[in-house]
Amino acid sequence: MTATSEAATTSRVAAPSADQGRRKVDPTYLVMLLPPVVLFTIFITLPGIVGMFYSITDYAGYGDWKFIGLTNYQAIFSDPRILGAYTFTIGFSFVTVILVNAVALALAIGLNAKIKFKKGLRGTFVLPMVISGIVIAYVFNYLFSTSLPTIAAALGIDALAGSILANPSLAWIGVVIVTAWQAVPGAMIIYLAGLLAIPTDVYEAADVDGASSWRKFTAITLPLMVGYVVINTILGFKNFLNAYDIIVGLTNGGPGTSTFSIAMTIFTGFTSGDYAYQMANAVLFFIVTIAISLFQLELIRRRGVSL
Amino acid sequence: MGALAAGPLSACGSGGGGRTTLRFYQSKPEVIGYFDENIIAPFNQSQSDIVVTHDATSSLVASLVREAPHDLVCNNYNLEPGTFVARDVLTDLGDLPEAEQIRPDVQELVGQYATPERASHVLPYSITAAGVIYNVPLFDEHGVEVPTTWSELIDACETFQSADITPFYMTFADPWTIQQGLFDYVGGGMLDVAQFYSELEAAGTDGGTTSSVSFRDRFDPVVAKMLELVPYTNPDAASRSYEDGNTAFARGDGAMYLQGPWAIGQIAAANPDLEVGTFPLPATDDPADLKARVNLDLALWIPKGAANPEAARTFLSYLMTPEVMHTYNADNLAISPVEDAPEVEDERIARLGAYVQDGAFYQGPGTYIPTAIPVGNYLQTLVLSRNGDEFLRTLDNDWNRLAQRTLV
Amino acid sequence: MTTTRTSQDATATTVPAGRPRRPRRRREPKEDYRVNWRLTGLLAAASLAVLLPMYFTITMALKTSQQAASGTGFSLPWPVNLGNFTEAWRLTNFGRAFAISVFISVVAVSGVILLASAAAFAISQNWDRKLFRYSYYYLLGAMFIPFPVIALPQIKFMSIAGLSNPAGVAILHILFQMSFNILLYSAFLRSIPGELIESAHIDGATTAQTFRRLILPLLAPMNATVGIFVFLFSWNDFMMPSLIVANPALQTIPVVQSLFQSQFSANYNIAFASYLMAMAPTVVAYVFAQRWVMSGVTRGAIKG
Repeated sequence: MTATSEAATTSRVAAPSADQGRRKVDPTYLVMLLPPVVLFTIFITLPGIVGMFYSITDYAGYGDWKFIGLTNYQAIFSDPRILGAYTFTIGFSFVTVILVNAVALALAIGLNAKIKFKKGLRGTFVLPMVISGIVIAYVFNYLFSTSLPTIAAALGIDALAGSILANPSLAWIGVVIVTAWQAVPGAMIIYLAGLLAIPTDVYEAADVDGASSWRKFTAITLPLMVGYVVINTILGFKNFLNAYDIIVGLTNGGPGTSTFSIAMTIFTGFTSGDYAYQMANAVLFFIVTIAISLFQLELIRRRGVSL
Repeated sequence: MGALAAGPLSACGSGGGGRTTLRFYQSKPEVIGYFDENIIAPFNQSQSDIVVTHDATSSLVASLVREAPHDLVCNNYNLEPGTFVARDVLTDLGDLPEAEQIRPDVQELVGQYATPERASHVLPYSITAAGVIYNVPLFDEHGVEVPTTWSELIDACETFQSADITPFYMTFADPWTIQQGLFDYVGGGMLDVAQFYSELEAAGTDGGTTSSVSFRDRFDPVVAKMLELVPYTNPDAASRSYEDGNTAFARGDGAMYLQGPWAIGQIAAANPDLEVGTFPLPATDDPADLKARVNLDLALWIPKGAANPEAARTFLSYLMTPEVMHTYNADNLAISPVEDAPEVEDERIARLGAYVQDGAFYQGPGTYIPTAIPVGNYLQTLVLSRNGDEFLRTLDNDWNRLAQRTLV
Repeated sequence: MTTTRTSQDATATTVPAGRPRRPRRRREPKEDYRVNWRLTGLLAAASLAVLLPMYFTITMALKTSQQAASGTGFSLPWPVNLGNFTEAWRLTNFGRAFAISVFISVVAVSGVILLASAAAFAISQNWDRKLFRYSYYYLLGAMFIPFPVIALPQIKFMSIAGLSNPAGVAILHILFQMSFNILLYSAFLRSIPGELIESAHIDGATTAQTFRRLILPLLAPMNATVGIFVFLFSWNDFMMPSLIVANPALQTIPVVQSLFQSQFSANYNIAFASYLMAMAPTVVAYVFAQRWVMSGVTRGAIKG
């Protein structure tokens, strides 16, 4: 699907060979391209610009408002809660993206191997993706606060006898587990697609040469999967930065303010009349997201992987 | 007759026969069915000019953003609608005859959150009085009388604790319960809450600094007393939620429970045989200081730009007729906010009801704090870490920052 | 054109030549490799991490309030309480909300499949032109705009355009899913040889015909994947319907179910019943599409 498929030697879609730019564009292509782009601009880009504009006002979404310049932005940098939310969210995203990709890749390899009940097992592991975040959070909240402590108490494991969600230093682990639980299937599907594209004769040749499983993994599988890992990492990181549904249902930012995510702080602005301040926060968030993604792309480019 | 079943009725209502469709918003989950069956259906049937449709799921803010607000809103009055008042997006209802009937001390509550001069933009409909819910059999069994002073309260806690009964069942996993119970009761029982907040507002961008009005000054004793009560709670409070609390209390796991009448219904559902009562939490040693925590559980307002303000007023008048209003409040363990309201008959909240009749009430200090400051979460940290200084300092800093930002 | 043998071939159902194809799916023949039982066991154990919460959700929906409130939650519900389902159906007016959710999801899925594939095709065929290349980057970059920035102005825009209804939500769903799926389609299109398209042109087909008759069928495997992703997003979305749809009678299932999530409600089991009812279509859709998703994804991988 990506550059890694070059190994299977298919040619890229040929660019038109005639003088480029002199030939007129086939209007059908314009009809295909422009409606989405125009609609997109009207319904997404323009509102985005308007939203950013509000960040220099004190607008609440309704009623009177006035310009207040950069006051909101100045206030953000001295607001420990917002800065805390950034620290937590970025840290949480980092850990979760690693966990999700490791598990998803391992599962994809496992589900692609010589096992029985392939269809059934594959089907099972994709189930978490099908449920909405709110329900998952609700279910796991009950499991962590009630079921797990009861079981742990019965087994005499004191360490787990309290809900980890009630412990300010451990609650983030619960959030990571639940978010990963839901995110693994999506990544796994993409990895499976990538794995299935690797021809088996490559592995067979390696077997003939006497390569161990680990060697096959590092020398064949990993290099051919790098493109997919990259996509999953960048997009995954962005998705986790935006975490909202699951955290609200699981801890609601608690205990205390230890698991407040950036998206949560932004949304509090809607009902508290503090909308404009949170818009400044949202603009900052947008910049941070792009910066992190560009940084990741740059790291990858340096290592010579082309997408 | 589901919450949204009125929908199809409205679809045929608006077109035929010149009936006006009234968009009515009411979202308190426990009474959605009650409103549908006992209030809206009879109204629709009793006259042919207006058809009321019941919206329980929309976002109020979105409807204002869209500039297509509801015709009449019946909702909890807290800081969110307080912001509506402050931003002047509601119509003035002061000229209605019903407005005259509202007790002045209750009407005042509306203005306490925001702009006092616009207090008449919202009409109170149902007051709930909250205090300590107690397990009557447990009290009788251990010879504990309802405490009217702080020392008596502590004595009661000691008695229960030595008998291996949890004095207070608490649910720290849900921050709002800490705010509504511990914080509001102790704070309201010790301070003049409305006075404090009006001084804080008046201090403007100095609010929250020690040179002026601050939480550190006034709430230090409050926090100290709160922390005195925390040891008398169940050890697993940190992982118990509101639902767990209702079930546990119904089971008899605690002698006292800091919740409002809304919880009584839930407790009764879990254990109909349990006899409960209520009393205001004594925070001082003077019984004359006893007050009930109230909130405007339901209040009515008509937004500016509503499509059918006249019809809205007609329905509002209907809602506020004694038969409808008093029946609703009696059935739902609440109190009517009008001058000639009937006495509270339900034994379980009768004691608190008497305090309300006498005007001895306050709105909880936690309810004055804007959601931009997550006081519930801070309280959670407080009860887990027992660090009162940090709590007060954070609250002050947040308030000050907010004031700097919004009062520019 | 050669086909490379991949691991998928090992489990493909084979039909002996000469026998007419049976309409029903035949039983899977035994795998023609040595089954790795240890790995199978490991995976089965790991699948408990998925199955236990699912089991919990289902049993919760079948319990009464008293049963639900105590213990670990894993006890089997007995006697089984189906009243929860009828209660949930009644309270949420499930039938109508279901129809609305279906409408939005179907429109979103078809919209994305058509528009995103067409746009990806146009872009891949005109990569040398700035307009197309920059449009690609523009759409991709927009994936990073956080939703809260757009939300409130979008409410205003939609109301001005008269789209404060499910149709408006469907349009927004399409637009929000555009970027990611154009990315997927573009990647997939790269594996289609340019010669195919050239020869179609030589044969006199217009671009539109080429797209309809040649490309779309080739994209079939990807359509299944894209379809299921878009469907899941659209079906489970709470934010957009709750903010955009003005008429509460026209709300989707997630919004209508939010009645159960209020802090003052203790109806755990009715809530779970409604969650199950809402999940059922996604599970069905998924089971249905899973076959295609897996086979499609693999067919796409086989260079043919």
